[in-house]
Amino acid sequence: MNWFLLMPVLLPVIGALNLLLLRWYFPKQAVADNAPRFKMAVRISTFCFVLAAGLSVLAIALDGTFSFRLFDLISDSFPIYFRADITAIVFASVAAVMWLLSTWFSFAYMDHQKNEIRYQLFSLLSLGAVLGVCFSGNLITTYLFYEMMTLVTFPLVLHEQTKEAVSAGMTYLFYSVAGAFLGLLGIFFLSREASGMTGEGGSLMYRPGGFINVSGDNTVLLTVLFLMLIGLACKAGMFPLHGWLPKAHPVAPAPASALLSGNITKMGLLFTIRVLYFIVVPESLSGTWVMNALLALSLTTVFLGSMLAYREKVLKKRLAYSTVSQVSYCLTGVYMLSQVTLLGAVLHMIFHSIIKNLLFLSVGAVIFTTGKTRADEMKHMGKKMPVTMTCFTVAGLGLVGIPPLCGFISKWYLATGAIKTEIPVFSWLAPVVLLISALLTAGYLLTVSADAFFGKDEAANATAVSADADASKASDTAEAEHAEAGTEKAVSKKRIFLLTPLVILAAAALVFGIIPNPLSDSIQEAVDRIFMIIR
Amino acid sequence: MDFVRNFPFICIMLAMVSGPVSSVLSGKKAGRLSMLVVSVCGILSAVTLVYTLQLTEPFVYTMGRFPAPFGNEIRAGVFEALMATFFCLIMVLSLIGGLKYLKTDVPDEKKNLYFIMINLLLASLLSLIYTNDMFTGYVFVEINTISACGLIMIRGWGRNILAATKYMVMSLLGSGLVLVSISILYGITGHLLMSNIHTAVAELVASKNHIEPLIIAVGLFSVGIAIKSALFPFHAWLPDAYSYSTCSSSAILSSLVSKGYILFLMKFIYRVIGSDVFKMTGADDVLFLFGIAAMLVGSIDAIQQTDISRMIAFSSIAQIGYIYMGFGLGVEAGMVASAFHILAHASAKSMLFVSANGLSEVSGGSMNYRDLRGSGIRNRSAGIGFVVGSLSMVGIPLFAGFTSKVYFAKAALGATTSKEIVTLIALAISTILNAMYFIRMTLSVYTPRMNEHYEDRDFRPGFTYRFSMFVFIIIVLVLGILSNPIFDWISRGLSQFS
Repeated sequence: MNWFLLMPVLLPVIGALNLLLLRWYFPKQAVADNAPRFKMAVRISTFCFVLAAGLSVLAIALDGTFSFRLFDLISDSFPIYFRADITAIVFASVAAVMWLLSTWFSFAYMDHQKNEIRYQLFSLLSLGAVLGVCFSGNLITTYLFYEMMTLVTFPLVLHEQTKEAVSAGMTYLFYSVAGAFLGLLGIFFLSREASGMTGEGGSLMYRPGGFINVSGDNTVLLTVLFLMLIGLACKAGMFPLHGWLPKAHPVAPAPASALLSGNITKMGLLFTIRVLYFIVVPESLSGTWVMNALLALSLTTVFLGSMLAYREKVLKKRLAYSTVSQVSYCLTGVYMLSQVTLLGAVLHMIFHSIIKNLLFLSVGAVIFTTGKTRADEMKHMGKKMPVTMTCFTVAGLGLVGIPPLCGFISKWYLATGAIKTEIPVFSWLAPVVLLISALLTAGYLLTVSADAFFGKDEAANATAVSADADASKASDTAEAEHAEAGTEKAVSKKRIFLLTPLVILAAAALVFGIIPNPLSDSIQEAVDRIFMIIR
Repeated sequence: MDFVRNFPFICIMLAMVSGPVSSVLSGKKAGRLSMLVVSVCGILSAVTLVYTLQLTEPFVYTMGRFPAPFGNEIRAGVFEALMATFFCLIMVLSLIGGLKYLKTDVPDEKKNLYFIMINLLLASLLSLIYTNDMFTGYVFVEINTISACGLIMIRGWGRNILAATKYMVMSLLGSGLVLVSISILYGITGHLLMSNIHTAVAELVASKNHIEPLIIAVGLFSVGIAIKSALFPFHAWLPDAYSYSTCSSSAILSSLVSKGYILFLMKFIYRVIGSDVFKMTGADDVLFLFGIAAMLVGSIDAIQQTDISRMIAFSSIAQIGYIYMGFGLGVEAGMVASAFHILAHASAKSMLFVSANGLSEVSGGSMNYRDLRGSGIRNRSAGIGFVVGSLSMVGIPLFAGFTSKVYFAKAALGATTSKEIVTLIALAISTILNAMYFIRMTLSVYTPRMNEHYEDRDFRPGFTYRFSMFVFIIIVLVLGILSNPIFDWISRGLSQFS
């Protein structure tokens, strides 16, 4: 049954091939006009395959740990090797759920856009690559899927094919290639360190608790590790390699930006966790300049990201900057190399994924219905789109970290864990920066909600007055239509696609905030396993 | 003696004899004969490869049973047979991929001339691979130059003739240096046979006699081959020569001709003077530096090109830099990595040239990247070929380029610390530079022009073209995924060298 581990990677790829098959099967005219029958077929096929991939992840999660060796890539110490441990299952299930919701959402959203089949195809391929990164059992396999992920998410960024999108796409690609190569550089050096190790998954197989001891005077290895971790943090948008993220995420279609921000960035985090806790012995690194420098960088990013988000006026860009800041929360927790902060980081990864998907999807719903993209245009939106804006507010509260929403739990673990670590300076600096950043988060997200529900929309009032003046001429029905334009009711046919994911995600944010224990216990178990072996 | 031992000799003679025979045939028949000969040579070499894999030692074949110095020797081990098989394979694929363009580019009366050149080129490449004699090596270096010149100028444009002249001048300079070096070696050792020189050189070094002439000979040989294979800073002739000639010519020139010389240099290093003596002369450091410089300069030049074939040509300069960098690392693993990169680069580069011609065919014959917009959609097989080639060049996992990059990095980890760090940094920068121009070109190839619809696609590439693209893609993927046995063969072959 071990080959079943290939399913999460293969199913989305088969789904993508199936889309190509559909395009070949349907008459050319139907494809060109995007005829309803063709559109329906594409959507049903996409959804079924995303669902199937999700179910395969579920099946693996229920079945427990197992591994599968596919073939040797370079030599027998570098095989393509898959392994399902708790870390992999956590990241994979989050990805699968988010893909399901975002795909569902895209069925309404993509009506606005051309070339839906291309979008769905690359979205499926990205799911395959992301699940591949999750389930890979050694560094070389992770690297392989990591590069594939960059390549297949690239068309999602490019999707709208405007000049801006192309330039953002190129930026994304250069940063990613550079970051991944820094990672590869690290893999070369680590493979030399690990040359004596043998195992089913080759020399660089993941072992909880790591196996490479880095002594403090090995300057070359420390420098290389530093560069490697910087390179991996590029995908997670950490300063100094964060420049691509605020450009690339907002230009994609909203469901894709949600996935890019909510899930693709997390793969950089997963790779970092794999290196720091499954290859290198974390305790041998704690206290070295590498960790201090990385902590300084990640905390800078936390602050910088929220500052930039606070200043940004275009909502999607604001959310992208917020991602820069929030993913660095997780990175901070990972870099502290302690049990509690790692737990906090993984929890924050899950919760941020939920919340950021929710935020991007609700902004997407606003853009779909009204075409408004800027923060100051959100006034009065609460009345027009009550469900969307309520969900947006829930997400905002969650991201700030107000109990009983989920953001509170993870930030609690991060802050208390940081204080317990007794790393000089950072043990108190980290909670302070987290608090300041939370304040800024409130500043950039909750103001939007406040505007939406309580702000006075002068422009809307003005049109209302002019509408009153014209009312004598216009018939009752026309007036009613005018009032409904740009509200949720106007898109009632697509409401089920637009609003269901929002409501589900908002509910999840609330439920995990109230009863986090089942989730945090299972992650605690994984974290314990890592740290038990060290002791 | 097994009959298989005759195969290398039969291959060379077959190629040589088919040249004159082609001259009396019509262009079409000459083409068929030439492709048949290349394929037969490929099959015979493959059989030789299988045969040598079962031997522990390479076999030596003396022509006419005359022992050296009167007769001529051929030596075939795993490495030689592997390279010969691979070269034949790439050559036949380049020929059938560019067949359609040959018809339009080459005037009818010159067609058989073209195939004579191809046959002579094959003969010279095979002899460079198999020969055990320095002077024979020199003779075939010259034949190689002449036939390559013919391939460049067969199109008959002013630019081709200019490019061919440039190539001729530079190349003859290079072969002159090689000849001087061989003469010096003959002078101080009294031998021309590789194994004999090797023992003589070892004695000279041990007794500390004639060290200066030896160093000069090594230097001249390295520089001569470097000029001929377009190592930076001797690369000025390359872009014109590769980009203005017809499709098959550019594919063959870029992937095979320069590699033939490089193989000769490899033989020189291992079989003639020994890698220790080579290191002692300091030539490896020089090659290393120029290799690194070439990797960067070639890529930076490639970024500035707007013409797809010139871009690919400049990327060749960078890739040749990789190979010399591997030589310069001064460790056995570096040499193996270079040898693997010869395979990886030859397959990806010839595929890129063939696909670039396919893309330009559906863009009104223009090579400019603005005119090429959307051509990947108009000509599917060429588009896919270009994407696969680009990914391999950039070094994405599962493609050949990634594997050779990993081998280079692993080799660098065994070299001295300064070389290790320089190599890894240079690999990193060159990866990013490669990504810059190849991805840009891929994007433009797949971005449709405004108001253009591709629903009524009337262009369909010919069967031969699609077949060659398909096989090229398979080769690149096999080198990327199943590199393990090939790598073993190369290292086995190289250990048989010394």
